[in-house]
Amino acid sequence: MSKIGHITATALTAVLLVCATVTPPHAQSRNPAGIGQDQYLQGQFSMDRHLAGFDKPLTSEGEFTLSPATGLIWHTITPFPGMTVLDDHGITRIDDQNNRENLAGGDQFRPFIELISAVLAGNWDPLRERFDIVQQTAKGNDPWQIVLTPKGGSPIAGQISKITATGTQFVDVVQIAKPSGDRDAITLSGQELHDMPLPADLADIFAGPAN
Amino acid sequence: MTMRASIWAICLLVMAVFGGAQLVGGHTGIDADFLSLIGQEQTGDGTTPDDIHTVRDLLAQDGRQAIFMLFSPDRTKLETAGTHLANALSTLAGTSSITLPGQGADRLNELMDFYGPYAHGLLSDTDRETLQNGEGHRLYRRAVQNLYSPVTTLGSQTLQHDPFALLPAFLSGLGDKLGNGAGIIQRDGQFYLPLMVRLSPDLRQTGQDSIWVTGANDAINATLATAPGLKIAKTGQVFFAVAEATRAKSDVQRIAILATIGIVLMIGLVFYSPVPLIGALLVVGSGLIAGMAAVTLIFPAIHAIALVFGASLIGISVDYALHYLVMPPHSGTAQERIAKIRPGLSLGLLTSVIGFGALSVSPTQLLAQIAVYSVAGLIAAYISVLCLLPLIPCRKVQTSSPIHRFHHILQTGLAKTRTGFIARLCLAAAIFAGLMACLVVIPGNNDIRQLGHGNPALIQEAAQISDVMGIGGQPLFLQIRGQDGEARLQTAEAVRNALTPLLANGSLGGMIGLADVIPSIARQSENRKQVNDGLYRPFADQLSELLPVTVAAPDEKAPFLIFDDRAALNLPEITGLRLDGSDIIRLRAATGIDAITTAIAAIPDTHVIDPGATISAQFAQYRHWALIALGISLGVAGILAIVRYGLIRGICVFAAPAGAILIAVIGGHLIGISQNFFTTMALFLVFAIGADYVLFLAESRNSDHNNDTHLAVLLSLISSVLTFGLLASSSVPLVSDIGSVIAIGLVGAWFLAYWMTAPTIKNNKETPRDT
Repeated sequence: MSKIGHITATALTAVLLVCATVTPPHAQSRNPAGIGQDQYLQGQFSMDRHLAGFDKPLTSEGEFTLSPATGLIWHTITPFPGMTVLDDHGITRIDDQNNRENLAGGDQFRPFIELISAVLAGNWDPLRERFDIVQQTAKGNDPWQIVLTPKGGSPIAGQISKITATGTQFVDVVQIAKPSGDRDAITLSGQELHDMPLPADLADIFAGPAN
Repeated sequence: MTMRASIWAICLLVMAVFGGAQLVGGHTGIDADFLSLIGQEQTGDGTTPDDIHTVRDLLAQDGRQAIFMLFSPDRTKLETAGTHLANALSTLAGTSSITLPGQGADRLNELMDFYGPYAHGLLSDTDRETLQNGEGHRLYRRAVQNLYSPVTTLGSQTLQHDPFALLPAFLSGLGDKLGNGAGIIQRDGQFYLPLMVRLSPDLRQTGQDSIWVTGANDAINATLATAPGLKIAKTGQVFFAVAEATRAKSDVQRIAILATIGIVLMIGLVFYSPVPLIGALLVVGSGLIAGMAAVTLIFPAIHAIALVFGASLIGISVDYALHYLVMPPHSGTAQERIAKIRPGLSLGLLTSVIGFGALSVSPTQLLAQIAVYSVAGLIAAYISVLCLLPLIPCRKVQTSSPIHRFHHILQTGLAKTRTGFIARLCLAAAIFAGLMACLVVIPGNNDIRQLGHGNPALIQEAAQISDVMGIGGQPLFLQIRGQDGEARLQTAEAVRNALTPLLANGSLGGMIGLADVIPSIARQSENRKQVNDGLYRPFADQLSELLPVTVAAPDEKAPFLIFDDRAALNLPEITGLRLDGSDIIRLRAATGIDAITTAIAAIPDTHVIDPGATISAQFAQYRHWALIALGISLGVAGILAIVRYGLIRGICVFAAPAGAILIAVIGGHLIGISQNFFTTMALFLVFAIGADYVLFLAESRNSDHNNDTHLAVLLSLISSVLTFGLLASSSVPLVSDIGSVIAIGLVGAWFLAYWMTAPTIKNNKETPRDT
């Protein structure tokens, strides 16, 4: 009934997207792997949101920051600036005037944050409960691919029909297909892995306004 | 003689088979749920029946919910434990569904489909306030962000009818209002996880609730073993009901064993033979069989309380048996002995039948069941004395027995208390005046919450869950009446506005009514206007530039969302929120009823329903009927006594059971027992048994078996005090109160029966025989 139900479903797609995105830069490896709790990843994204029945997608571009220990900042720069923060406090939207709106209780959303960490650590077990996972190991310079399909009867199946992530060192593209026929195509670039702590401005975003 | 006995034995056999077949075959159910006890009346009273019906239905719904709260400083362990417990509980027979935080995503599509066409008329409280404040731009920015957010509610379908993403906010607010344990809460270094269990509707009626609770406790213990530091609190009617029933059952079993041993010892010590015991069992058993057969024949279901009170007629029927059994062999043949006791026995039966029969004039099924059980049982016991006991070998009371000696000492002592008729009449007058005074001076207290023992651990856990989660706790409802559904929805919206300050300051944990799920047409219409004026007109064009579709203002006259079968199908949460002619608002974690009453005072057609108070009022009505029936019984018994014994002696005879009732009431009051329905029913037993005592003694006072009758009455008193007196030691107030009242009353009945029927003293000289 609560909004968190469907938001988390949609958020999971984002989680998985980012999970697949943050593949460590092992030069010789062609498999996704996790990052440590003491690291964070930054990069740029371009998202095309295709809505069934409409030719033109909704396109947005921006930057993201992911810390397995803290959460995800999804900073849309164009066409409309805004920020979505996923962390222990839940889902928070910050508009261009720095107004914060908490969309959902963090306690409910936390499993998805934890899913990010689990995937980044190379632990697929939490996802295997809800998804059938097919992993294609890359050969040579070919990209690797992971296909996640919700298991029958899983609540998430009402929100997502398939997630496909491809990449080489990092995830390059994530395709999220929905039962309605809508799909999101996210292209990632410029990912860089850094050691914690987060820069002060990013840490402040996670910390929220001082009371 | 043998023929009559054989026929009667066959009748008993048939009744036993019939009653057993009815119960075992499921044709007649035994209902242990007190909720089914209420609301069965056919009274024409204006408001109370509606309330009681409402309360019964609502509590029945609440009774299907069990709430668990797991808490631990380690969140990961907590969630793992929550899943473990949920899995364990799901395997229990009687578990219908389980809800854990984060579940319910599968319902989103259904709800979006259901609400989608009406989205522009559905606003969350916050969005509504935002628009009222002229801050539509904030909602516009939110809508735009939603377009590009990785966690979006946007889709090709929602874009058509909800481009400003108002519906998700409405659904989020609705989830909070429903209060189904929104999620894990962090407080003071602990994480708290709610787990809600929906129970099968027939769990309590079928008596399987104790098995479920045992399984749930095992599941809790198994879960606790998996995570050190984890704690689990639980609450729900099922836990309280089972705890109370278990304690009461344990008490009654212990008492029954002790009482049985005591009675066996007593009869053994009097006769030095087990044969009289067999006779007593025959009479008592035949009463129980006939009573059971009668209620199973008449009623489709018998309530456990009716069974308990019906079974207590053991205390009366054993009197009948003892009255015969103490007759010495040399007093005549079996038929001659029967002939000697028959008048007293018949009068005793008649009085008791009138007394219990008077209960059946009440409109309550419970009292009617008690009446049928008791009347049929006592008649059967009476017939068994006449037909079966003469076939039992006669055993002589042993003069060397300690009880016989004790009886002799008592007789000697009591003889010194004899008085003349004037003193007795004065006492009788005092008794009648006292009874009238008691009705006025000693108030009834029908608060059902004082009848149970109240498991301290469960009470503490319920308070903890209510404090942390704002769920569980004492249920409280608001009932809204009105000419039509739309009027009631509008009233409910006014109620929410009135109670918002209480929600804000925490004195009310939450509330949910039909208007929260399906707003009134007036509210939807108002919302549409606000949405059009505050969002679509200023921002539709801007939003259209960002979307592949033109955003147009919705039609304010489009069909509205209404309460219908489709709504009920999509929203099972609203079940029970609309009844015939009224709507219900459920209140959660209300800390005080006064503040709520004050807040809604100015809103017409709305009143608070406190289930505890409503059910207590219902039991007050039961008590009212029981008192009327008791009064009728006393009146009829008085007339019978006067007809039988003349005016003066009749008044004295009649005054004995009346005095016993008075003693029971005053004695109970002095030791802190409240006058309620159950203690009033106990007075019925005091009256019936007390009437037996005095009638047996009055009928035998001029005969050669007078001393035997005195012994029979003493033995009856001992057996009754053993049975009911031990009940007074129960830890359950209800059981203890009943036992105490009966024990006190019967001691008084025994003394008054002797005192009122003893030979009178004139001028300090004993009259040889009063004729």
